Amino acid sequence: MRKVATAPGADAASGAVPGVATGAVPRVARPGAMDDRAPGAPRLAPWLFLAPLLVFAAVFLVLPLGFSIYLTFTRWNPLGSPSWVGLKQYEYLLTRDPVFWDTLGHTFIVAGGLVLFGVPLSLALAAVFSRAKGRRVWRAIFYLPQVTNIVAIAYIWQFLLDDRYGLVNRGLGLLGYAGPDWLTDGTWAMVSVIVVMVWYELGKNMLVFSAAIDGIDPQVIEAATLDGASGPRVFASITVPLIRPAVVFVTVTSFITGMGWFALILAMTNGGPRGATDVTALYMYRMAFEDLRMGRASAAAMILFAIIAVIAVLQFRLLRERAA
Amino acid sequence: MRAVLKYAALGLVAALMLLPFADMFVGALRGPRDVFANPPNYFPVEPQWSVYARVFDELPMGRWLFNSVVVTLTITVLQVATSTLAGFALAKYDFGGRDAIFRLVIGAQMFPFFLFIIPIFFLLRYVPLAGGNGLTELGGSGLLGTYAALVLPFIVTWYGVFLMRQFFVTIPDDLLEAARLDGASEFRIFRSIALPQIAPAVWTLALFAFVYHWNEFIWTMTVTRSAPELQTLPVGIFLLEDQFNTLDQKSLQQAALAVSVAPVIFLFIVLQKRFHAATETG
Repeated sequence: MRKVATAPGADAASGAVPGVATGAVPRVARPGAMDDRAPGAPRLAPWLFLAPLLVFAAVFLVLPLGFSIYLTFTRWNPLGSPSWVGLKQYEYLLTRDPVFWDTLGHTFIVAGGLVLFGVPLSLALAAVFSRAKGRRVWRAIFYLPQVTNIVAIAYIWQFLLDDRYGLVNRGLGLLGYAGPDWLTDGTWAMVSVIVVMVWYELGKNMLVFSAAIDGIDPQVIEAATLDGASGPRVFASITVPLIRPAVVFVTVTSFITGMGWFALILAMTNGGPRGATDVTALYMYRMAFEDLRMGRASAAAMILFAIIAVIAVLQFRLLRERAA
Repeated sequence: MRAVLKYAALGLVAALMLLPFADMFVGALRGPRDVFANPPNYFPVEPQWSVYARVFDELPMGRWLFNSVVVTLTITVLQVATSTLAGFALAKYDFGGRDAIFRLVIGAQMFPFFLFIIPIFFLLRYVPLAGGNGLTELGGSGLLGTYAALVLPFIVTWYGVFLMRQFFVTIPDDLLEAARLDGASEFRIFRSIALPQIAPAVWTLALFAFVYHWNEFIWTMTVTRSAPELQTLPVGIFLLEDQFNTLDQKSLQQAALAVSVAPVIFLFIVLQKRFHAATETG
């Protein structure tokens, strides 16, 4: 009747997340305590505590995902009701849509740029930061963009990058250079988007790296330094391999962020000029809430999600194997 | 020499982080004399501090601030409640299905936000008996024109549940057992024994939730586009874009942005120590 021995699922649960400690002592020895308790209370309590989560999971996770999958097989302008079209939306997006592949290309450029520039820069910054004095102040400054709303970030950079009167081109002008049209030239607009994303994520990624560096046994570094290796050399050949899990984590999360995060682009360029920074997630959003094509937009979201999922898994496998 | 290089590098990055914010604060203070000069002045000849009063007079700033505070605080309180309760249940009880629920908590974090925008928007619109909907006649706006639409999709944070569970696991079982022997109810054990043990982690969660939802933009914009009275600061400023198109309105926009940024930066600086304890364990 009442569960007195360790639940059968407990061991499996502790196995699900490696490195997470569960109660080491099996909970068998409390029959006396159980007997004076209100009957059923310990069995019921966890379910009561979990009730909000379970309701939420049903209403805001399972239901929407199911609804979304259904919508990908329909044509639906929300003024009417959805009509079943099978795989037509997928077929349209992948073979006939004039810009879908362009937006996918832009998505990869943004994500690739964020990984290619963001990861090494934050790693280098962490290397310097981890041996500096006044870390609390540096940290606060580097983390500042992360606590700022994205509309402010987007507009602040619009002001800075204004072709004629922005601080950046004024500065370049003082040095005798004519700065580029940061936001009105297609190529430069893409550069601007990546620069701002790297700037925005720098502090967060740096903190992950510096926490990992702090976890290294100082004796290892000391030994290498005594052997005559230079600072940068020690960092590249000893520190980085030792914090590989953090490198994998930041690389994969940066990539996922770059693939799916469109708030900054929406507020900063709205995909422009002339679609040069239009990414798939943003295209999907406009398809849904401007063109009211809910079926097609859902299919676009699903394709993007599938691509992200596959690549994230591949990255994890690849980067982890190389570590072993 | 090496030390000089180190601090030069840190200083350079710090300047790159701070300069954009400084540019915004300077820009907010420019007056017509500065923007219409040829070429326009970078530094205002006469700083227009009155711009911060104009922000409240000429824009629905009070309304936006009120909405931001109400929505953000509500979400924060609810997320802390659901995360700690669920995290405690997953950490400290043995019951069939715990394993599966824990996997759900991990797995749910894999789904990117953009997947949910369309379906949740319509689920809220089709809630029966709300906003002009009947029991089966679903032609109304449902919950879309209400605060509930801003709050409900965020009352559980999967990462928060995971985080709280990780902290509750570290509490010794004996402590809870002892309270049980004294006849304390399970909720009381949770509230008075377990929760205080992980108070710093709970405050961290609250702070992260607050900052995240103060800044939340896409969802709030999507459901309040046609309900200006529900817009929060970032959304309101963004959707009023057209009002800021003339040159002399730019400083007003910059001042409004400064007001939207100031509360979190203030909170962040005051609670800095706690904030970073969290980012380092996370």
